[in-house]
Amino acid sequence: MQAKAKRYPEEAARLLKEKPQVRTAVTGATLHFERNRLKAYGEIDAEAWRERAKAVKNHLLTHLDHYLELAEKRLRENGVQVHWAETPEDAHRVLREVVARHGVRRAVKAKSMLTEELGVNPLLESLGVEVYETDLGEYLIQLLGEPPSHIVGPAIHLPLEEIQRLFHQRFGTPLEASPEELAQVARRVLREAFLTAELGISGANFLVAETGTLALMENEGNIRLSTSLPRVHVAFVGLEKLLPRFQDLGLFLPLTARAATGQRLSTFVSLLQGPARPGEEGPEEVHVVLVDHGRTALLHDPEAWEVLRCVRCGACLNACPVYRQTGGHPYGYVYSGPIGAVLDPGLLGLEEAHPLPFASTLCGACQEACPVKIPIPKLLLTWRHRAAEEGLSPAWEKAAMGAFLKVMASPTLYRLFSRALRGLPLPQDLLPLLRAWTQGRGPLKPSPKPFHELWQTLKEAKEEGDGG
Amino acid sequence: MEAKTRILARVRRALKDRPKALLPEHPHATFPEDPLDLFLKRLGENGAEGHRVDRAEALALLKELLPGFPGAAFGKGVPPELRPPLPELPPEEAPLGISWALFAVAETGTVALSAEDGRRTQLLPPAHLVLVEAERVYPTLLMALSHLGPLPSALGLHSGPSKSADIGQVMVKGVHGPGRLMVVVLI
Ligand code: SF4
Repeated sequence: MQAKAKRYPEEAARLLKEKPQVRTAVTGATLHFERNRLKAYGEIDAEAWRERAKAVKNHLLTHLDHYLELAEKRLRENGVQVHWAETPEDAHRVLREVVARHGVRRAVKAKSMLTEELGVNPLLESLGVEVYETDLGEYLIQLLGEPPSHIVGPAIHLPLEEIQRLFHQRFGTPLEASPEELAQVARRVLREAFLTAELGISGANFLVAETGTLALMENEGNIRLSTSLPRVHVAFVGLEKLLPRFQDLGLFLPLTARAATGQRLSTFVSLLQGPARPGEEGPEEVHVVLVDHGRTALLHDPEAWEVLRCVRCGACLNACPVYRQTGGHPYGYVYSGPIGAVLDPGLLGLEEAHPLPFASTLCGACQEACPVKIPIPKLLLTWRHRAAEEGLSPAWEKAAMGAFLKVMASPTLYRLFSRALRGLPLPQDLLPLLRAWTQGRGPLKPSPKPFHELWQTLKEAKEEGDGG
Repeated sequence: MEAKTRILARVRRALKDRPKALLPEHPHATFPEDPLDLFLKRLGENGAEGHRVDRAEALALLKELLPGFPGAAFGKGVPPELRPPLPELPPEEAPLGISWALFAVAETGTVALSAEDGRRTQLLPPAHLVLVEAERVYPTLLMALSHLGPLPSALGLHSGPSKSADIGQVMVKGVHGPGRLMVVVLI
């Protein structure tokens, strides 16, 4: 996927101005997810579960070479063909070969953020393959030609009316068709695709090294169908998706479901061991592509390596007051919200993604929500610090910080400046430094009195009180 | 092979000075509640229908549960004596699939379905009836997964009807998989 993360500030401002309905839709959906998560965490000893999940992933990551080799061995024993991909081109090569050998004309896809990273859909289309995204939300945005705006709910930014209009144009349904009716139309189209596609494509939530098991979570049944009906199944798996032991699924499946949607378990979980055995229904051929695409570089990073624990539950997006204003599109890459802000600079390089770590109030809600306890606020600061060191921090911030230093170092300037701020009616927009701040935020409301005067008054009042 | 070698070399370089983290054990929670009661309760909360019945009376219950179904697709594991007298249809056409579960999980309200039983029957019909033996109901997922024997080529965990809220945040059932799940526990 072409990254446009550099343009975050402009894109966020544009979206807020041009599509205010997105903010309403995203805020509604994320608050709903967030309430469900809080309830689901409340039922369990969330602290202990999260601590244990963090420890399992830390163990996995600090022994990753061992577990990768073990996973490959087990997968092969299960009859799975294993490929290693450093780049999207490596991944494309696997698909080209499968498409040519099986004469693939049609592919059904289960939602996968990694395949967005790798540009799987454009590649397949260039090979003349008809690609159907089969997750309902993903299907909607495919029809619209948009990227996903949320890891778990790719279409949460779309209000019902927009979907009704889309289906009216595409399928001739009435403009006031109910969500049930629209879903039935999508079900019919996609059922036909499931039954005729030669190729099923998926990501994976987890890959168990001990048994070579691919684990996939969903609520619709489209992943089960995509990995059961077509002759060939290709799964793309990021290196960090491994788990050491089969029993680790007993923690990670329910914890991820609770974090993502507040469910005790996703409605459907597929635990896949490879191709169908004699006399069984299922794919004849299964491929697993182990994908690096920037992950080993992140593992090397002494601080940011912790983001590799991420299970892509989306809880940090739902908790984030900044993400809620715009949804994922302005972030300009596959991963948005708090996790995007700390992952994208690692995957794309800071040069490409430097505005993202600034898209946060550092309130810490993301870290509270995260099932694997990724210290997102700390990492946001790490990336900001690096951006500043590399001269990449936003221009206004550099200028403002320079001016701030001068003002703070001189009592005279400080008094003058703070008085000016309080005295100005609303010409904040005229001060170029302040404009940079207020562009993306509400106006500053300086207190009528400076703090040292307030302090003096308070102190005097207190002394009077104490004395009396 | 080359990509693999390079990736593993980078991983080892990255980990050279990183302290190794220990692998924690998973504690097995003790479960005071009767798993069968909890299982049926959780099925209900998940939007599925749960029943428990003596094996000897199971067929009678099935006949009661399934009026109006003109036929069904059957999983390979469904014992002949528990097959309701419905004409057998291919899963693509059947309005109902009847499956035999490998096990179930009380805490999450889940039935586990093996590829051996037949994946199409589990997925294509709009309604799904699953039979499971009471002694195969585990209290927690962790316990169930720790006690599994050899793994089937695919294991599907179903915890309710297929659903989605992707259209305008309104919950819709039966999007791709079965929109109705009935579970009968055999005692
Ligand atoms: S960072 Fe944590 S909360 Fe955010 S998507 Fe990843 S696992 Fe979920």
